[in-house]
Amino acid sequence: MRPFVYERPTSVSAAVAMASHAGAGHVPPTAADTQFIAGGTNLADYMKLGVGRPDRLLDLNTLAEPALRKIRTSDDAIRFGALVRMGEAADNDDVRRRCPLLADSLKLAASGQLRNMATLGGNVLQRTRCEYFRETSWPCNKREPGSGCAAMEGVNRQHAVLGTSDSCIATYHGDFAQALIALDATVDIEGRRGKRTLAFAKLHRLPGETPNIETDLAADEIITAIEVPLRPWSGRSRYLKIRDRESYAFALASAAVALDMEGQTVRSVRIGLGGVATVPWRAVAAEDALQGKVLDEAAAQKAADAAFADARPREHNAFKIPLGKRTLVRALLETRDMKV
Amino acid sequence: MNQAAPAPRENQGDPVVRIDARLKVTGQASYPADIATANVAYGALATSSIARGRVSALHLQDARAVPGVLDIVTYGDMDKTDTPKFGNTGASSIGPLHDKTIFHDGQIIALVVAETFEAAEEAAMLIRADYDDEQPSASFDSKGTSTEAAAGKNPMLKEDAKAGDFDAAWAAAAVKVDERYSTPTQHHNPIELFSTTAMWQGDQLTIHEPSQNVTGWKMELARQLKLDPANVRIISPYIGGAFGSKGPMTARTAIVAVAARRIGRPVRCVVSRMQAFGAQTYRAETRHRIRIGAGKDGRITAFGHEGWEVTSRPDPYVVGGTSATARMYNYGSVLTHVALVHADRNTPGYMRSPPETPYVYALENAMDEMAVALGMDPVEFRRVNEPVKEPIGGRPFSSRSLIKCYDQASEAFGWSKRDPEAGSMRDGDWLVGMGCATAIYPTAAAPCAARVRLTADGEVRVQCGSHEIGTGVRTVAGQMAAERLGVGMEKVSVEMGDSALPPAPVSGGSISTASVCSAVMMACDAVRAKLFAAAAGKDGPLAGSGNAKLDMADGKIVTETGKSAKLADVFKAMQVGAIEEYAEFAPKGSSPEALNKLYAGQPEFHGGESDKDSVKYAFGAEFVEVRINSRTREIRVPRIVGAFAAGRIMNTRTARSQLMGGMIWGIGQALHEATEIDRRAARYVNRDLQDYLVPVNADIKAVDVILVPEVDHEVNPAGVKGLGELGNVGTAAAVASAVYHATGKRIRDLPIRIEHLIV
Amino acid sequence: MSDAKISSGLSRRMFMTASVSAAAAMPLATSPTRAAQPASAKPAQPRDLSAVSMRINKQSYNLALDNRTSLLDALRDHVGLTGTKKGCDHGQCGACTVLVDGKRVLSCLSFAVMNQGREITTVEGLASAGGELHPVQQAFVDHDAFQCGYCTPGQIMSAIGCINEGRAGSEDDIREYMSGNLCRCAAYPNIVAAIVQARDEIRRA
Repeated sequence: MRPFVYERPTSVSAAVAMASHAGAGHVPPTAADTQFIAGGTNLADYMKLGVGRPDRLLDLNTLAEPALRKIRTSDDAIRFGALVRMGEAADNDDVRRRCPLLADSLKLAASGQLRNMATLGGNVLQRTRCEYFRETSWPCNKREPGSGCAAMEGVNRQHAVLGTSDSCIATYHGDFAQALIALDATVDIEGRRGKRTLAFAKLHRLPGETPNIETDLAADEIITAIEVPLRPWSGRSRYLKIRDRESYAFALASAAVALDMEGQTVRSVRIGLGGVATVPWRAVAAEDALQGKVLDEAAAQKAADAAFADARPREHNAFKIPLGKRTLVRALLETRDMKV
Repeated sequence: MNQAAPAPRENQGDPVVRIDARLKVTGQASYPADIATANVAYGALATSSIARGRVSALHLQDARAVPGVLDIVTYGDMDKTDTPKFGNTGASSIGPLHDKTIFHDGQIIALVVAETFEAAEEAAMLIRADYDDEQPSASFDSKGTSTEAAAGKNPMLKEDAKAGDFDAAWAAAAVKVDERYSTPTQHHNPIELFSTTAMWQGDQLTIHEPSQNVTGWKMELARQLKLDPANVRIISPYIGGAFGSKGPMTARTAIVAVAARRIGRPVRCVVSRMQAFGAQTYRAETRHRIRIGAGKDGRITAFGHEGWEVTSRPDPYVVGGTSATARMYNYGSVLTHVALVHADRNTPGYMRSPPETPYVYALENAMDEMAVALGMDPVEFRRVNEPVKEPIGGRPFSSRSLIKCYDQASEAFGWSKRDPEAGSMRDGDWLVGMGCATAIYPTAAAPCAARVRLTADGEVRVQCGSHEIGTGVRTVAGQMAAERLGVGMEKVSVEMGDSALPPAPVSGGSISTASVCSAVMMACDAVRAKLFAAAAGKDGPLAGSGNAKLDMADGKIVTETGKSAKLADVFKAMQVGAIEEYAEFAPKGSSPEALNKLYAGQPEFHGGESDKDSVKYAFGAEFVEVRINSRTREIRVPRIVGAFAAGRIMNTRTARSQLMGGMIWGIGQALHEATEIDRRAARYVNRDLQDYLVPVNADIKAVDVILVPEVDHEVNPAGVKGLGELGNVGTAAAVASAVYHATGKRIRDLPIRIEHLIV
Repeated sequence: MSDAKISSGLSRRMFMTASVSAAAAMPLATSPTRAAQPASAKPAQPRDLSAVSMRINKQSYNLALDNRTSLLDALRDHVGLTGTKKGCDHGQCGACTVLVDGKRVLSCLSFAVMNQGREITTVEGLASAGGELHPVQQAFVDHDAFQCGYCTPGQIMSAIGCINEGRAGSEDDIREYMSGNLCRCAAYPNIVAAIVQARDEIRRA
């Protein structure tokens, strides 16, 4: 690991100022000289591997603003401070009761220890676990722009089939983000140019030709809060995660589903897909296919087909297309059958 | 009493708590990298990123510029040492710093030594190599591999087993199975990282390194460093899991020793989880073709087993499991052949449980296929083919309780409730499948020495250079001494894991309990003999008890008529404070040089298939239930039952734990474990515990271990068959059979994953 | 005072970088918001050592550490508490689990410098001064919940966390919430049985 300066800003504005005065410029936050650290579970790992190479770390755990550590539930939204730990959010009774999908997506991620460490703000920004990205001796367009992609023709069982490009097929491995994108969440961001609120769906960028640019954030920007609106579908919601192990493994395929039903008919549906895409993935085509339909096996299957219509398999990950579809069908039917 | 401490049945010892349990739960058990070392410097490896070629230039300037870097050991710096040897002790003949040739991915190209761990790691990552690289051959089917017959290349497989006229029997068989199976590359991945700490005092070298073979390593390291073996000491009191990975000494040990000598300070090098994939041994991928021919009555008439294994370019590592599969059932005729495929890979090594795990997986999967083809119950099919003598040499089995194992396990499992039709059992959204398979492991022993000291106040110290890798050998050695010397376990201490102790063989091949306990028993009996002579002597406290049989119990010497003498009184009569005896055990059939070879670190193994009078195996039967989601096809194992017969069980607690752990290993092999290789570059890709999956707690539900009583006086004086390897054999085939039963789909390539069942 | 005991097993580096003070002798900055770096006119350089104060097993430590040093390496190499184990150094195995302010975390992924003012508990801090084992330790002994023992300190610390978090209700819960601790010897069923026993004992107490 490269040596780094470690500093403890005491407020968000101080942190932002410290980051920008270092001349963050136009590099993505993951390549900036100065980077923020909170839980550290992703960044420390990547720094040890030589993938994360900051000269300076700003520790967000010393920020004083109490709202950063709070979960606030109102009638129409749940608002998570960005420093709330995954485990705390997963265990929050309000969250579980009002929107089980949120709690499940957190509970089924990582391990008890990691959930105690990792913050929600950091969780949504976690970087891919692509093996070729992790090991610096392989070419990787995300790590070294223009160097090529070793995964494309390599061992790509865990790689994405949706949202891929000719430059990158690395999967976004997070779970919570699938819930957030399905539920129309927004993120509050503070940076040198002030505060802004962004639809969660706009936070992550498709790899395209610049897989090294992963999010819409500038290097001086900090996520301060995540807000999830509570809507008629929030209570009937579920996260289904299919993986090789029963626990402590990344999704091969997952589905975040929230349903507003009128009898057997879908009044409204929200769908996120994990383990299969390069970014948090909203399955809009599947949602459209279900709108106003009776939710039965056939309708669910049709929606699943729509969700994966544009999927592009590689040598070892073609199974993710049928698996992803079946995962979605199962999640839809199980969510339909939830006692709410 | 709890499940972890089964009540002993016939010929089974008490479930004594591990002698080192308290140390292990308080963090006081010191593993080699825990040893406090004054003035230690830290080492970090730099390794190759290509699998074949030569290093044309090494750029060290950036690394040297890192503050705190003390030295970099690289090409040229090992020239005064001898290159490693491949064999019983050495993992590979590749001397990575002796020669700029790159034989495999992850080969050591330098060792950085620095004041701190952080500086060493930083500098190692800054080392850049230029290579003249060549297209490597990754594995089976890669261009450029070379294939040779394995038999005779390695003592593991002297010849291909055969019997009768296979071709004729095969041609005539009424029912045939002819299928191919494969097992993937696997790495042991003990949770303890590999490490070496080397320190010199003058010419004396001390190495702290997790080792399953301290005596062998002492000799091999002395040879490489051209030292008098008396000046080399390997210390490894606790080992954080081994499974074979810490048996062969790798090239790193000598390199770290040289570094410590160069800087005049102790050096500790902890190998990263990722680097260990290339720097240590592993189980190479295997392929199998199995042919079974049978009559309509279910009697096997022909058995053919061809195996292919990958090894490195220079070293003929052989698994060679046909020796056991050829003797499993009453086949009629047998034809086997094993081929080695040399590729640009690091040299494989033994991994729990060589050689049976891959080979028996193939055999037992085929046995299940044959049972289906015959329309027979798989247990009945095995019963019908139960042999009286082994089919290759016609020798009897020293004991064979396989059918008892099947009976007890199938009853506990509820096998009779299984509907034999594939795909017929279901529980809600889950397909239910049940399968079974045989476990077999050769029972061997090797020469072993031990020293036992008894003091007048009843304190016992056992010393033996064996290795506590988690099997409980320290505990059972202590139990043996406590039992023979009639004292409580709290009076016994056991020292192991040090090449300065009486030598023991490598802790591999499930030989340790038999070998160590036999030696400890001999030493104890020598102590007893001295005490008995003194007690019954004319000035002894039991004078006049004549030829009455004496024994030791409760800190006393007792006669069969009920008279007794306190130990202290006997010692007083002898006018000594302690009695110490040194014993050397050599198994029946040992050569005249067997003990010398023990001291030379080259112990002879006896037993298994190698004895003239009988073949010696431990057996078991495993039953598995799987549940497979009808939609998403994830496979879960809610319960597994294994019944095992392994002669005398020294301690039902440690025995159960080992067998249970082995069975869970089998579940991992069936469903999780595989090292992925990038075939273009012959490089391992999933080199960590994030992507190399081993079972987690949630994967394992009910595990039921049945210890089937068995008495076998023939195997060794202690009557013990090893069982560390046994539990892991057969499990994967039982899982594969259960998956077939649940789905009607036969998966022949491990691991069985969702993608095999989804389309 | 246990200075002598603590320092007996230490490398020379520890003496250069650490000072140990008696449990209650020296109040330390515990506010996470207070910077601990000594005031200095010069801007910090990447290779500067940072002053870090922590309470470890109820004893205060003042350490001077490389910013890169993980909490795990600080415990092992600088404080001499080697009960906490390194199994992967990347948050994948759980062997390095310790309690920080009562919560179980992975010490390998936590830079030591980020633990300024925190209360750390390691496996060495569990047994009573009289040597009586913590109920989880005793249950691990009773149920043979280990073989090689290497993952055991992490399992035990994680089990305490799991029980404290109220996640040891059913055996299935225990399995799920203990899945971040790999045991390659695969003592899992015994670990679950041990946690059930300890949970009940702790509840009774």
